[in-house]
Amino acid sequence: MLAALLALVGLFVAVYLTLYKIGVIGQLVCAAGSCETVQTSRWAVFLGAPVAAWGVGYYVVVLAMAMAGTTERWEDSSALSTAMLVITAWGALFSLWLTSLELFVIHAICQWCVGSATIAVALFVVSLLDWRETRLLDRDEPASPAPAAPAA
Amino acid sequence: MAAKRVETGRGRRSRVVSEQRRSSRPFAIALGVIAIVGVLALAWSVARPKRGVTDVDLKADPAQARGYLLGDSTAPLQIMEFADFECPACAQFATLTEPDVRKALIQTGKAGWRYYDFPLPMHQNTWDASNAAACADEQGKFWEMHDMLFANQDRWNGEATSSPKDVFKGYAQSLGLDVPKWEACYDADKYRSRVAANRAEAERRHIESTPTFIIGGKMIPGALNYDQFMKYVSDWQQSQGAAAPNATTNTVPNAAKPGGTKP
Repeated sequence: MLAALLALVGLFVAVYLTLYKIGVIGQLVCAAGSCETVQTSRWAVFLGAPVAAWGVGYYVVVLAMAMAGTTERWEDSSALSTAMLVITAWGALFSLWLTSLELFVIHAICQWCVGSATIAVALFVVSLLDWRETRLLDRDEPASPAPAAPAA
Repeated sequence: MAAKRVETGRGRRSRVVSEQRRSSRPFAIALGVIAIVGVLALAWSVARPKRGVTDVDLKADPAQARGYLLGDSTAPLQIMEFADFECPACAQFATLTEPDVRKALIQTGKAGWRYYDFPLPMHQNTWDASNAAACADEQGKFWEMHDMLFANQDRWNGEATSSPKDVFKGYAQSLGLDVPKWEACYDADKYRSRVAANRAEAERRHIESTPTFIIGGKMIPGALNYDQFMKYVSDWQQSQGAAAPNATTNTVPNAAKPGGTKP
């Protein structure tokens, strides 16, 4: 549930930055730092698409997975838990790389990007805790009665 | 601990699930609140005026610094650019957009262009770059040095080196400048006051970011792409046509002389 909330916030941040990047939003609200410097740097594009647009895709996928995880069918799924762990680990590492570029290469900080990176790291932490819990449950399963078939 | 959660046999997390059922309403409410706030914030962002464009009346408030002129100072449209040689957004504009804008506006005599240094405090080598460009201007090659600096920004910026002089000296050499003369000028920081005057012009106009452009009475922050840039130009042309078809509005600073880029 917490992952879904985080992913939704992250999705809005990514949409906001994408709308700026494609020219729909004229000016970023940036109380301090240099959002525009970061967003107009060459590092704001990855594999031909704005980094923020990749962020939108990332958060949509994570949100969908997190919402699936709140349903009874997928709530126990260790596969889903592992997939969440892998994708959020990738997201956190990618975000940390982008933040390091801001600090050491671009020499400018975009608050929204840092906010997104924080969310990405938080998502990873939440996913890690969930994955650990799922593993504990898997370990305990032999001692428990056979579970009912998941609802279709 | 986990075993305690498995009590009923209906799913491994039966207790957790039942707890989640109880807490699903706050979750749904939180999700809904975030969604509503997010959508409203995005709608507000899209609806607000673009890029903080402000009106500037250069006739009433002409520039007090000369900048560096490219093209014809008597052309109908005069464009001012406030930029920092070490700013990545400025480099992006200078390398990707400006060449096409020059072809369309400067080389056709439709507009004149003035560059104003706006060295920002977070950029370690930007004052040195402005110094190098000003000394190139002394030999009539400001714009060649301007293009060289922006095209190779990552080779001399604060990340690349703490002493960019040798890099700049190499550019002076490759541009065919009188290098000893350029070096003497650079070492003496001869045009610091000129750069400072350009910077003061930016501060006087409350410019907050680089690059910022003044195009036909509109001050526009941000690295515009070609279409955005030309849209402001055509808007200005249309407003001129509507107001006075044969009028020419010269927004050249009072101190400027036609064709002159010398301090």
